[in-house]
Amino acid sequence: MRRADRLTALDPRSWPITIKVPLLVAIMMLAVGVAVTDRVLRRLEAIQEMHLKELASAYMDGLSALVLPHVMHNDTWEVFDALERAAGGYGGLELMWTTVVTPGGSIIASSQPQLFPVDSDMTRSLIQRFAGNAELILAKDEERAHLRRILTYQDRTIGAIYADVGISRLLRERRDVLMTLLLTNFVLTLGFASLGYLLVRRMVRPVNILTHYLGRARTKGLDPIPASHMPRAGSEFGKLFDRYNEMARAVAERELLATRLAQEEKLASLGRLTSGIAHEINNPLGGLFNTIDALKRHGDSEEVRRTSISLLERGLSGIRDVVRAALHVYRTEKSPRSLTSADIEDLLLLIRPELKRKKLRIDWRCDFSGSLPVPAAAVRDIALNLLLNACATSPEGGKIKFFAGQKDNTLKLVIADEGTGIPEEAKSYLERADAGKAPIEERAGLGLWMVRRLADELTATISVMAVAGSGTSISLTIPLREVEGMRHVA
Amino acid sequence: MNDSSAPSLVQAGRPLFSRRRFLLLTGALLSGQAVLAASVRAASSRPLQFGLTPVFLTNDLELLSKLKAYLSHRTGFEVELVRRRTYQEIATLLLSGQLDAAWICGYPFVVLQDQLSLVAVPVWRGAPLYSSYLIVAADRDVDTIVQLEGDIHAFSDPDSNSGHLVTRAALAEIRRRPEEFFRRTIFTWGHRNVVRAVGSGLAMSGSVDGYVYEVLAQTEPKLTEGTRVVRRSELLGFPPVACLRAQAASAPVHALRQALLEMHESPDGRDVLNILKLDGFVQGSPDLFQGIAEKVRQVRSFG
Repeated sequence: MRRADRLTALDPRSWPITIKVPLLVAIMMLAVGVAVTDRVLRRLEAIQEMHLKELASAYMDGLSALVLPHVMHNDTWEVFDALERAAGGYGGLELMWTTVVTPGGSIIASSQPQLFPVDSDMTRSLIQRFAGNAELILAKDEERAHLRRILTYQDRTIGAIYADVGISRLLRERRDVLMTLLLTNFVLTLGFASLGYLLVRRMVRPVNILTHYLGRARTKGLDPIPASHMPRAGSEFGKLFDRYNEMARAVAERELLATRLAQEEKLASLGRLTSGIAHEINNPLGGLFNTIDALKRHGDSEEVRRTSISLLERGLSGIRDVVRAALHVYRTEKSPRSLTSADIEDLLLLIRPELKRKKLRIDWRCDFSGSLPVPAAAVRDIALNLLLNACATSPEGGKIKFFAGQKDNTLKLVIADEGTGIPEEAKSYLERADAGKAPIEERAGLGLWMVRRLADELTATISVMAVAGSGTSISLTIPLREVEGMRHVA
Repeated sequence: MNDSSAPSLVQAGRPLFSRRRFLLLTGALLSGQAVLAASVRAASSRPLQFGLTPVFLTNDLELLSKLKAYLSHRTGFEVELVRRRTYQEIATLLLSGQLDAAWICGYPFVVLQDQLSLVAVPVWRGAPLYSSYLIVAADRDVDTIVQLEGDIHAFSDPDSNSGHLVTRAALAEIRRRPEEFFRRTIFTWGHRNVVRAVGSGLAMSGSVDGYVYEVLAQTEPKLTEGTRVVRRSELLGFPPVACLRAQAASAPVHALRQALLEMHESPDGRDVLNILKLDGFVQGSPDLFQGIAEKVRQVRSFG
């Protein structure tokens, strides 16, 4: 893929609608999913924290009531026993440790005596992390919550309970919810995008059919869309297809008309040629009859007989050449064949009557010998038309230039005259590719239209250089290619 | 700090309840009202009141219900099992005549021997004897009691032989007292609790009933596996079932004695013994408790 193509492919504006719509759906779903997930997780977090607070508070309430009398007596065993009994009653709390301390921070008992030995001092940092009356601090990094309850009796502080509870279960629950939401959103997004793809594909199918038929028009002409591909009658696309079919029929009729016109033009030029050929034949005919007369009268003379036969032979050869060339040009060929230099030479023979009639000089160059892989008939028709046009526009005694030669992978034809110059509209008509779909308005333009049509078929480019008052030079560049594959080229 | 608030029959070498003082305190109950109350109770059809101390596994409800069912069935009396938190409470109830008999410890039995009479003595591992264990955390590297100096030490009950007296006597031998030898002492009010305290690390060492410890090792190995026995005392008289001397011949006590002595003969009795991991009960003699009496003397003489 070329760089430019890659860039185009990356531009979303160039993507098919069947991709754009599902993608848009997916993006919207994604946005909704992100928003919903965020809301759900925030709400879940709030609920979890509320539940944790309630549960922690219930635990501390129960434990306070249980240990208070024993804390007053500094009864290590009873406090420890109470901690162990309370631990079993709060299944919802993931208790890591609970420690009861005196107001001075000395440990009375802990559920984890190894970590918090009796009579040792509670770590300062554990006490100091509670500011003011805070009873719960969440430490998400450590995946735990710190709890505290001050024990008071008759308005006097007699100790405190510190505890750590794990919140890994809550965090896991959040992760599970997140995963569930992500999975659900992914499946929904995929589902809706697929549905969107199928729906849009179904919706744009008529557009694709139309595009296909319009695309084919370049090479095969506008074909009406068959009934089997027609959308439901009366629908938007149904109406559109009806219009297209009407247009295709109109174009077909126009094509038919154009072909008929071309035929007529061909016949008209044939008429002109025929008269030229007749003239060409007629000229030597007078001489031939004279020679026959001479033979009748002085046939005895060896000298006369030899001269006469020679004259007859040359005169008849001239007639034969003209007839052969005419036959050659207008014979319907069953299959296209490659252009030969003889085909080019035939053209000179055919326009000679015109040249003579207008006393035109010709600068004739054919730079190739043998054959070139371009359809002979089409090239000949183009060249003949342009040559006849050049003859027609050239002033009497003027000069015409003709050049035919191979250049790289093309056949180059140049026909120049010294006429008044080609009109601007004819020039742009000739130079515009695809202009051959319809003939130009004026009758006189039929020849140009044929040239343009044939050039289109040959995928040839035409350039016209017209200098007002000093003539016109028309160049054709015809790509060389396998003639066998061009059977459709007339 | 020491648990000096814990009431004890014998404390710091000074008998809190010397025999004389005990008599002074409970004299009225014993000599008058209690005897009267006992005879009144016997005459009426009041339930047989059998006191249980935390000497054995009082937390086993299945055991309690089976023991009650067995005793009720065998004695023909409705039996009520009376449990209290401390040995002292049970001893007081027994002395005040509110109990027909009680499963007490050898220590209060020795101290109150002139008031009490043996009903039966349990037989464990073929003899009515047991010993006291000194336990520490399983991973602790100590071999003698001397190395336990400065510990937080868990006792069972101030009136327990194996869970207090034996260790106190052992320290008296080296002229030391628990209050100053240990950094701190904790009373846990049950042998099972001593094992819990040492196993969890709350206490660094503990004094525990050898029989309870061995039974726990079988029934709740998780509890004992964190601990290790450092010292086993000599064999001493197993905690006996006792009654007031005055009631030794009463019908309920007689029936109870028979039920206990014949316990191993019936399936439901063996069921109870099986839970208790005991072989049975024997009549026993006060001589069994000479070892404990000696320890009491040792502690008292140390002053």
